[in-house]
Amino acid sequence: MTLSSLVGRTIGTPVAGLVFLAGLAGCGQSGRSTGTDGRGTVVISTAADADGLFPPLVRTTLGRAISQQLFEPLASIGDSLNVIGDAGFEPRLADRWDWSRDSLSIVFHLNPGARWHDGVPVRAADVKFTQHIYVDSALATPDASLFADIDSVSVRDSLTPVFWFKRRSPHEFYVAAAEMEIVPEHVYGKVATTALASSDLLRHPIGSGRFKFLRWTPGATIEIVSNDAHYRAPAKLDRVIWTIAPDFSAASARFLNGEADFLESIRPEMLTQVERAPNLKVVSTPGFRYGFLALNLQDPMRPGAPHRLFGDRALRRALTMAVDRGSIVRSVFDTLAVPGLGPMVHAMPTTDTTVAELPFDPARATRLLDSLGWRESSNGVRYRNGLPLEFTIVTPSSSKERGRLAVLLQDQFKRVGARVKVQTLEINTLMQQLAKRDFDAVMASWPMDANPAAVRQNWGSEAAHEKGSSNYTGYASARFDAQLDRAASATSLAVARPLFTQAYQTIIDDAPAVWLFEPDNVVGVQRRIHLAPLRVDAWWAHLADWSVPAGERIERDRVGMRTSSEKPAARGG
Amino acid sequence: MTGGGRGRGVAAFMASRLAQAVVVIAAVATFVFVLIHMAPGDPFAAALDNPHVTESMRARWRAAYGLDRPLGEQYVRYIANLARGDLGWSFSMRRPVREVLGDALPNTLLLAGSALVLGFGAGIALAVVQARRPGSRADRTIGAVSMFFYTMPDFWLALMMVLIFAYWFPILPAAGAIDPVMHDYMGAGARGLDRVRHLVLPAVTLALLSAAGVARYQRAELLRVLPDDFVRTARAKGLPEHRILTRHVLRNALIPTVSLLGLSLPVLFTGAVFVERVFAWPGMGWVVLNAVATRDYPLVTAGVIIAAAIVTVASLATDLLYAVVDPRVQRH
Repeated sequence: MTLSSLVGRTIGTPVAGLVFLAGLAGCGQSGRSTGTDGRGTVVISTAADADGLFPPLVRTTLGRAISQQLFEPLASIGDSLNVIGDAGFEPRLADRWDWSRDSLSIVFHLNPGARWHDGVPVRAADVKFTQHIYVDSALATPDASLFADIDSVSVRDSLTPVFWFKRRSPHEFYVAAAEMEIVPEHVYGKVATTALASSDLLRHPIGSGRFKFLRWTPGATIEIVSNDAHYRAPAKLDRVIWTIAPDFSAASARFLNGEADFLESIRPEMLTQVERAPNLKVVSTPGFRYGFLALNLQDPMRPGAPHRLFGDRALRRALTMAVDRGSIVRSVFDTLAVPGLGPMVHAMPTTDTTVAELPFDPARATRLLDSLGWRESSNGVRYRNGLPLEFTIVTPSSSKERGRLAVLLQDQFKRVGARVKVQTLEINTLMQQLAKRDFDAVMASWPMDANPAAVRQNWGSEAAHEKGSSNYTGYASARFDAQLDRAASATSLAVARPLFTQAYQTIIDDAPAVWLFEPDNVVGVQRRIHLAPLRVDAWWAHLADWSVPAGERIERDRVGMRTSSEKPAARGG
Repeated sequence: MTGGGRGRGVAAFMASRLAQAVVVIAAVATFVFVLIHMAPGDPFAAALDNPHVTESMRARWRAAYGLDRPLGEQYVRYIANLARGDLGWSFSMRRPVREVLGDALPNTLLLAGSALVLGFGAGIALAVVQARRPGSRADRTIGAVSMFFYTMPDFWLALMMVLIFAYWFPILPAAGAIDPVMHDYMGAGARGLDRVRHLVLPAVTLALLSAAGVARYQRAELLRVLPDDFVRTARAKGLPEHRILTRHVLRNALIPTVSLLGLSLPVLFTGAVFVERVFAWPGMGWVVLNAVATRDYPLVTAGVIIAAAIVTVASLATDLLYAVVDPRVQRH
């Protein structure tokens, strides 16, 4: 026996075994021939799995993106993102609607052709059932608080649900028509509400959207296919598949080597690489999230007492003026973000981008600190009554960008005599500290809600005093609350915009946070995919209108349509 | 010892080891249960990121899953359920834990098993090459390359493999266990090949890491056995050198490697955690890592119990394998 044959014997047997094992694992499904009439397949590379696809219980972005392809609301918010009245809304399950004279009820007229994916007609009883599900305390849906103003839904006839409201609100149409994806009673009503959250039915959702569910392999893929029987129009693509790769390197490699067609987040360091590739392009839209350094206004040790530093409005203003937001945002995000304005984003129709910001003015910041009694000592740190101007910024380990921002802030604060420590924490630990209000300052970010009045939940006085609320800075201003309430009750955008600006001006002047950045939505896409407009709050809103022109289709675009009967709904690995 | 006596002895040995295994797994279950509950955060803390979710809502969710009860009560309930074979409900995956692990475990076993076979096969073969001419250029080169891989962090090697074979020279898929689009349109052979193509990078990554250690260990064992009397006797009888090496020397030098095989399983399981993450391999590593991050208590605990059980069984199997490789063990 030669050496090579020995090595061959030693290695060859395991390799043959490996091929056998892998082949064995692949058995059990019959092969199918490749079709040639396909309209296109889009593979989306994403970092996290969905938490669910049943709209009332979905919490993750991916879950929302997919469930909104499968289920439809009565009407959809238009690209203008108007939430006042019904201007700009597009019909979905409802063809049209009528307001009552007193605006305390809205009558929706369902499209008579609307069908669930199992062929059963969509009926008014489904709308009533959906409203009941969303607010049922037994199911404890995360968004139940949004629907507090809806009194009930009645059924006038099988195609006419009527929403009744407890009080008038300019946003009542938005909440009733667009915030609820309608679910079929004949499917989900079979299970008691208490058992619904753990029901297997939720793994195989049946909706009414232009896409229908095909399968979900946990941790690997979620696949939806065109609903060719849709009452308005089927999707322009045959299929969309989300492939999950928890490591960003793998997710981006999948996109760069052509395994995936769409990457939902391009990082600055990838930009050149993607732009150079002839088959790829970068598409950027304004962001719908704002990032900030949140300052804890309450003493972590003595509940109810002001923070020893940030309880002082003038000190907060001085520190804000010490920060060159433009330069640090450029350093971290390159051109993929703009400096933040306040608790709003540029893309909101209610945002006035000329609102007066606290300027970057280190000299003024220094004078202000001097006037407050903070004297600089020989070590460069300011002291008052023997106590140093010293605090800790905590930042989540999951966000590289926020970590880098914290370090740059540390340097800028040092220049005006503040000694800052940066502490990176695992996300659960960080969340626990926020819930307990046990921090000085934290690098945070919030997604915007299409309804600008929702900012109350993060910055309103009511939430400031509620344990575990998302207003963890403890900012409470009666003036801000009143201005926000007035703005939220305006019945036209023209009236609302200046009122919101007043409220924003108040909070900017009070400086409970240093408003830092607004990251753009920057996605990467294969050039053969023709995108419909990417809505700023939800890039997936027009996914059913994406297309692949016939001349540009590749093998995976041509595999054609498959029905759920051709394939099992779930499979392992 | 008679055949019947030896059979009773093996049965007693097995019973004793199984009893030990039950104790070890119970201890692991308790330890992990307590530790994960003591870690900061809870399964619903991440909902702080959703401003619509109020504290009362989170309290209701905690109550629904019994997380508002004292830890001792939760533990007793968990152990009682475990005794009935109920591993609980995964908060993050919203499925029974049994199903989640049922999907993930075969993938990890395939990956770890392939890596084990490839790693040990390659490691032993390289050691044979080295032991034939100790100190030669081939020996030194293989030694240096082995050392290079031995010292390399698993996640870094995994990233390099993706970079080289999925991006610079895109000949293998970057991630996943199958082609998400085309797999079902392939014939049986092509589907098997598709699975192998997806398995290659993660399995080779893990195999490279273990092969390096095995080669160094096996080389030393081969060199220790080569001067033994029985080898001299075999040479004196005129047996060909390759036959002496494979039939006589290697078999004797393999005995310590068998114990290394048992020790490698836990290492492969932990290594697979990071490698699975980089290659998006839908196995136990991905599941448990995600469960730890989301504080999915039942999934973390069950995942660790399953891993402990597999390692314990593998350790038992290693002991039994000793008897096959070294007949002297049977006599004792």
